[in-house]
Amino acid sequence: MTMAHFGGHGRTHLSEYAGDVWFGKLDARAKLVGIFVFVIVSAVLTDFVLVLVSLAVALTLVLASRLPVFYLARMYSAAVPFILFASVSVFLFGGWERGIEMWARTSACVLPLLVLAAGTETFDLFAGLRRLHVPAVITTLLMLTQRYILLLSEELSRMSIARKARGFRGARNLLDRYGVKVVAFTAGMVLVRSFDRADDIYEGLKCKGFGQEMTPWRRSRVALKDGLLALGLATVAGLLLTVQLGVIT
Amino acid sequence: MKPLEIADVGFTYEDGTVALKGLSMSIGKGEKVAVVGPNGAGKSTLLHLIAGFRMPFSGQVMIEGRPLDESSADDLRKHVGLLFQDPDDQIFMPTVEEDVAFGPRNLGLDDIEGRVARGMRSSGMETLAKRKTHRLSYGMKKRVAIAGILAMDPAILLLDEPTSGLDPRSRAELIGLLKEMDRTMLIATHDLEAAAEIVDKAVVLNVGMLMEGTMRELVLARDLMHEAGLELPPISKLFRVLETMGYPMDDLPVSLDEAVEQLTRVIDREGKHAHAHIHTHVHGGHEDDHKHSKAAAGERQPRDEK
Repeated sequence: MTMAHFGGHGRTHLSEYAGDVWFGKLDARAKLVGIFVFVIVSAVLTDFVLVLVSLAVALTLVLASRLPVFYLARMYSAAVPFILFASVSVFLFGGWERGIEMWARTSACVLPLLVLAAGTETFDLFAGLRRLHVPAVITTLLMLTQRYILLLSEELSRMSIARKARGFRGARNLLDRYGVKVVAFTAGMVLVRSFDRADDIYEGLKCKGFGQEMTPWRRSRVALKDGLLALGLATVAGLLLTVQLGVIT
Repeated sequence: MKPLEIADVGFTYEDGTVALKGLSMSIGKGEKVAVVGPNGAGKSTLLHLIAGFRMPFSGQVMIEGRPLDESSADDLRKHVGLLFQDPDDQIFMPTVEEDVAFGPRNLGLDDIEGRVARGMRSSGMETLAKRKTHRLSYGMKKRVAIAGILAMDPAILLLDEPTSGLDPRSRAELIGLLKEMDRTMLIATHDLEAAAEIVDKAVVLNVGMLMEGTMRELVLARDLMHEAGLELPPISKLFRVLETMGYPMDDLPVSLDEAVEQLTRVIDREGKHAHAHIHTHVHGGHEDDHKHSKAAAGERQPRDEK
């Protein structure tokens, strides 16, 4: 399968650690339901204390998942610019408490999603969505898009190595016309080459009688532990929501 | 009815490059044929035409007696299993067994469990069912791709450079696997040595067909080999050198099996010959006896000195 280096840890897939931890062995549907319910509720919380509680739950999930914290931290760092932008904007108009609340709320949403992405085989994740009756055209598009992104990344990595092997050290600045030209050509070549590869992959799919669906052959079953995770997260989310709505004080 | 019949097929790329011209050939059931030729000879184009990914500009391709055209391509592709040069282009699922099951499921075939088991067994992957496909070696990925195709049980196997990029052990294993397979096969390859081990017949292609015959007929056609930019298999080269040194050769072997067979035959024949000499001369004198004993032990005299 097409590979792309991610995170610089010698691991080649986003979900490379999924097979090593208990969280990765749970049914994707249970994880999707539990985490999405939790994230949606966390996103609508407005009470500062409740937002902090939801962040604490998210951090507990990070630690309990047994996924390498440094790995998740690196993934989180990719979201930091967006989180900071939102938090600083809110801080400027609403004060420090609102700013921190925004940071906590977005982090409480992002962290469980990172755990879900890193702790579930990407294919299982999309297959889980399909089994939750998300339309086949969407899940198949997601799978093929992921494949294409990996392909682009692989071609980019190859071209980058080829450039370095021939002494190219990158454009020094935007006025470095030669450097910019090489980078532009590389971008064009990456697109052309990945288009060719995508064509080959499409032919490969057709050879195997591909229609519209990519679902696993083996059917997994939702076991008790899967149900408990989904139920646990949904219960926490439900409690937070009821307190937020004033049903429980 | 033959599984594959090609009549006067021509194909030109959009940029005007003529890839195939007036090509006619057929493959009988269970026959293994190699298509050999230099780069740009049209080998891969031919496989893509048979798989229905491109349509010929002229002539006709018949699969299982049915003409291949735009409307029948998807349906006829069920009868054709194409192994790509790069296995990464045809492995889609996260585990070996899932990938092997992918084709049969898409085609709505029955007994998927059995097909997966047979496909994996035929390609020697039965113990690796749960392995992640992206963690496999290149050679293993080739095997998974083959298992995936076999599980679809196609009438014809099309193999595009099956031995390219493989290390010697994986190459030898793959050759053994293909050799044992009782399937109709068309193999596009540069690797004459591998082809000689696997196929019954070879077609030399360079836009048009230059020759059709057995591998031995091919390697004996020196001018044609040169014209097609092909090299003799190393084993044939060795025996050609031996021949110039006076080695008693019946036929030029093109594969290791043939070479072993021939060596056995020659040793058997020449050994008996030497033994007969010993027997004849043993009563005649000690010197003669000594001389022929050495010959029997392997210190052969050149053929013309016997």
